[in-house]
Amino acid sequence: MTLTRDQLKTLYTNLSRSRRMDEVMVQGLADGKAVSFFHSGQGEEAVGVGGCTFLRPDDFVYSHHRGHGLSHIISKGGSPAAFIAEHYGKATGACNGLGAIHFVDPSLGFFGFSGTIGSAFPVTLGWALAAKKNGRQQVAVCFFGDGASNRGTLHEAMNMASVMKLPVVWVCHNNLYAQFMPLADAFPNEDIASFGVPYCMPTTIVDGQDVVAVHEAVQAAVARARAGEGPSIVECKTYRFRAHAEGAPDVSHYQLRPPEEVAAWRKRDPLLLFRQRLLEDEILSETEIERIDAEAAAEMEAAEKFAMESPSPVPAIFETALFSE
Amino acid sequence: MREIPYRIAMNEALVEELARDERVFVIGEDVQAGTFGVTSQLVQRFGPDRVMDTPLSETAVAGSAFGAAMAGYRPVADFMFADFIFIAGNEILINTAKWRFAHGGKVSLPLVFMAAMGGGARNGPEHSQSPEAVIMHTPGLKLAIPSTPFDAKGLLKSAIRDNNPVVFFYHKRLLGFRGPVPELDEDCVVPFGVADIKRPGDDVTVVATGLMVHHALRVAGELDGRASIEVIDPRTLEPLDIDTIVKSVRKTGRLVVMDEDTTRCGVGAEIITQVIENAFDALDAPPQRVGAANLPIPGGYIEQEVLPQPANLLAAIEAVVGKSLKV
Repeated sequence: MTLTRDQLKTLYTNLSRSRRMDEVMVQGLADGKAVSFFHSGQGEEAVGVGGCTFLRPDDFVYSHHRGHGLSHIISKGGSPAAFIAEHYGKATGACNGLGAIHFVDPSLGFFGFSGTIGSAFPVTLGWALAAKKNGRQQVAVCFFGDGASNRGTLHEAMNMASVMKLPVVWVCHNNLYAQFMPLADAFPNEDIASFGVPYCMPTTIVDGQDVVAVHEAVQAAVARARAGEGPSIVECKTYRFRAHAEGAPDVSHYQLRPPEEVAAWRKRDPLLLFRQRLLEDEILSETEIERIDAEAAAEMEAAEKFAMESPSPVPAIFETALFSE
Repeated sequence: MREIPYRIAMNEALVEELARDERVFVIGEDVQAGTFGVTSQLVQRFGPDRVMDTPLSETAVAGSAFGAAMAGYRPVADFMFADFIFIAGNEILINTAKWRFAHGGKVSLPLVFMAAMGGGARNGPEHSQSPEAVIMHTPGLKLAIPSTPFDAKGLLKSAIRDNNPVVFFYHKRLLGFRGPVPELDEDCVVPFGVADIKRPGDDVTVVATGLMVHHALRVAGELDGRASIEVIDPRTLEPLDIDTIVKSVRKTGRLVVMDEDTTRCGVGAEIITQVIENAFDALDAPPQRVGAANLPIPGGYIEQEVLPQPANLLAAIEAVVGKSLKV
């Protein structure tokens, strides 16, 4: 499963795009352009990028709370402009301006997302059930956090997916905190992948800062699911660089997260780690990397401009949004 | 009287009740830091055994409060957003609400389920609800909704001292609202089932809850000299002080009810029906209800098209008086 130079370049491009887009969102909220809230995913991009870049376009993805799923969404072909416009409350947004923090693009296997944490598990089961029935070898990939793993919905869904041998890949972003709650006080085992034991699933634990490691682990689980062999769990050890939400305190319980912990993880920035590796392996040159970063910045600047220039929704949308014909 | 923010008034109520009764404890996701500031600084004084951060597990939070209450404690469980109480719907609506009755009245459930209600922050359909009607509809749950710092403190203290399950909704957009609250050495308690006339008037009775009380006071102020509006805040919807509302309608002959939840099958429908049942003869015009449109609350700026606004209340008041009140 060695990646080609082009594939490695694509992974780097998606990491760079994700970071730049997250920065645009953080700034957009600070400037009062974005409505509602934003939960930055900076530091965790390798999970979304490694997990989604090489999925089939028709695979189902439940994107993640962090970054409101932007790294997952754009890695699978989703539109940054539609994502940003939605967050800016515009009619051109992914949800026609009705969802604010939500994203949808059924043509790319993004059928929606909920802010009630733990909602990821049951709905993924339904997508996987549909995939199993239709025989198209689609896979449903469910991204969830260590916080979500505290919900009872995980147990019902993992159990049922296993007994029904559904094509699911459960991918955990274990970033060590659920809002302000440290994992050590929320779960008696440091590995979320330990749920593989009761529910009889193959488990893989990877360095979530290593985009290639995430890619390989997820793709192995996807291949197994596509072959009809049932669900797997992939746990990615990662960390969020910013506070839980923009404007929220960056705390563990009620005290600041340990500065030495934050500093140690910041050295393991997935973007920097991969950049260094590509240079060392002479896959990309400094110039090529700079060009990719500049293109990502230009793409996100254009997407943000589109959002700013888009009109606000009008109530006529209510007529068609509530019920289907 | 000193003036403090609504959020601090609630915090004072928690401090005083935690100090007053060692059976009281606070439990929920991130209550130590306090997502909305209501429960902040409690852990420093009372310690992590009485101000308990939990895993992200609403079912378990509700269940712990529900179980501990019948075993002799007086828990206050916080759900952050009011929308999230539905995640623990089984424990709150099916179990807690019915438990005492289903067991012949042999156990008591002295607990508070509290959460931040309301829209206006453009947070979309899952973080903006005001689920007043569902709670009011469910026998076995009391429901308190303060509109002022005084009521926030007094009702929360009553809620904690009540021997029954109380759902306590505090409004996100009132957290920083300042108002008079008695000095710390006075026991500020607001009894349940006693409505408060926030503004007296003679022409129209407006019953409102939560943030809508402030919309009503604003509209009443703007109409000063053209129509005399009596604004009544029931403060608790279960128990409901229908007598104060009926007495007011017997004086004014006109009724408008405004609440932030979805209009259909809502608080307005219930209160208007009770007034019709009790005082049909007193009504000079068909009562009006003002609430959210029969739609989920959208995110972004368009939410104001769905949530009830002061202009909607003005239109309803004009309908009951039968004339335009514009200047």
